[in-house]
Amino acid sequence: MERIGEVIESSTTRFTAGAYELLAAPPFGSLVRAQTRSAGIAVYGLVYEIRTGSKEPGGRAMMRGRTYSGRNLYDAEIYHEHPDLAEVLQTEFSAITVGYCERDRRYQYLPPHPPPVHYSVYPCDDAELGGFCESSDFFRSVLFAAQIPSDELLSAAIRATARARPDSRDYLVYAGRELASLLKDDYDRLTAILRRIRP
Amino acid sequence: MGLDLTALGRQVRQMSGATALSAATTNERTSRVVARYREATGAEQHWATAANISRETANWLLAHPVEPLDTARNRPEIPVSYALVASDGSQIDLDRHGSASCYLINIGRVFLRYGENPLARLSSEPVLYYREEDLYLSNGTRRVPIEGNYLSARRDVDEGVALVGLADEFLTDDVPCLALQDGTLIRWTLAGAERFVQDHFLGRYLAYLDAMHERGIPVASYISRPRSPEVVGTIRLMLCPDVDVAAGKGANCSECSDLADDREPSCSICQGLVDTDILAGQLSEGQRGPLFISMSRINVESYREHTIYFFHMRVGRELARIEIPQWVAQDPDQVDLIHALMYDQAGRGGGYPVALERAHEQAVVRSADRRTFQHMLEASLYRAEADASASAKKDSKSYIKG
Repeated sequence: MERIGEVIESSTTRFTAGAYELLAAPPFGSLVRAQTRSAGIAVYGLVYEIRTGSKEPGGRAMMRGRTYSGRNLYDAEIYHEHPDLAEVLQTEFSAITVGYCERDRRYQYLPPHPPPVHYSVYPCDDAELGGFCESSDFFRSVLFAAQIPSDELLSAAIRATARARPDSRDYLVYAGRELASLLKDDYDRLTAILRRIRP
Repeated sequence: MGLDLTALGRQVRQMSGATALSAATTNERTSRVVARYREATGAEQHWATAANISRETANWLLAHPVEPLDTARNRPEIPVSYALVASDGSQIDLDRHGSASCYLINIGRVFLRYGENPLARLSSEPVLYYREEDLYLSNGTRRVPIEGNYLSARRDVDEGVALVGLADEFLTDDVPCLALQDGTLIRWTLAGAERFVQDHFLGRYLAYLDAMHERGIPVASYISRPRSPEVVGTIRLMLCPDVDVAAGKGANCSECSDLADDREPSCSICQGLVDTDILAGQLSEGQRGPLFISMSRINVESYREHTIYFFHMRVGRELARIEIPQWVAQDPDQVDLIHALMYDQAGRGGGYPVALERAHEQAVVRSADRRTFQHMLEASLYRAEADASASAKKDSKSYIKG
């Protein structure tokens, strides 16, 4: 699949990419793959935040739906009437690093190096997503990551994986069991997540 | 301690009081001057001649009317599709106390296309000038440093050259198009320059206008809140007791008959008024006022077929001044196009043309960038083992010593 963005900020546990097309970020909870300096190694991340704003630090978008002459513009019309917006606004998405692949092997723990800034970010197709989620070791990294909506993120990732696999229901049951063992001492949190992935 | 704000606050309050007081008398004067202007409608040819014959001897700027003085033309239909290019520049002036002799010009470049296939391309292009021929203009015997006004003149030329480049790159479609600049097209700053300096910059500037003329791409510039008093200058002629067009006699301020008779000059009622004060009343939203030719010396004497014309257009609470070269002004379709496109641009930008706003954003050099540039320069000179020390004065200003 074609690349959708480029890393603009990177650290050991998470990375942020700018989307090449305004407003076209991969969905929340989806798996993305960032290229690294070694051709055989790529880093996997789960998208946990998407934002669009001014490229200029401190800049803000202004309202444009009511024109100077009193005409009303709606939604996509505004972008059509102001082609410069695509040049001054930027859509970014951040992903928490959940593993990496080296040649054909996939690992669900942190890679030796984060993806370098300016390297490409690709979306993962169903086969790649299904393959990566064979194991559920990354559940733990997501559940206990700080400052991200971890319950929502993990539920979204599990739902997406279930959709991508032919054995959707079996996968959801499997994921539910894994969650139950990880959250055995937090019943409220477990039920909240289970409700979010219920078939 | 830099600025004593307590002391300043007192003066600001006094100033506000004085400004409010003078506003009342200004309003009264304005209405009398506007009445005189309106009376002259129909006699444009007469006052155009008066402006021509007074050009050398009047102490004020003049405008040569080309259209009826009461012109208030509605905004023409805005084309569905159009394209425009715009440029703006900023500079880091040569720092006499800095570590190296150089200056930087950053040109913001904008291309916008509206309509069926909307597209935008924004970029900026910095150029560092440091060679002898960049830093000085020379005619063999005289050597003039390019700084201050002359650097601005160089930047104006670079902005124009950037427009030609943009036009060649982007304005190839079969839609109405326009090249837009910020500020005036009249290079006032060169008026007082030495002849060879003026020839150098003006030659290049006019070559840019030639290039656009050859390509058939109309050029315009947009001035937000203009303060020029050229139309007011022509009204001064209407009030002047010495003007006698039939006798070929223009205003001659050095032999003012009012002053000779110990009276206040009749034209002093115009003191402090600007063109927008005169035209504000006759233009409603989107309308444009009459075309004039600017009679400034450099425009009349050096601009050839590029002689700059101007008109005013109402955009919201403001009258903007739009300048165009003669070859655009003499084609009514082009004038209509400029009128419509400038209004559309200002509308899209919330009162100021969006293309110029974007060009400025691209060109601007912020103080953080300025510092980074200085550090880059010093570090690079240091590595190159060139002398990179700043002057003692600059060092002394860098921080407060205890």
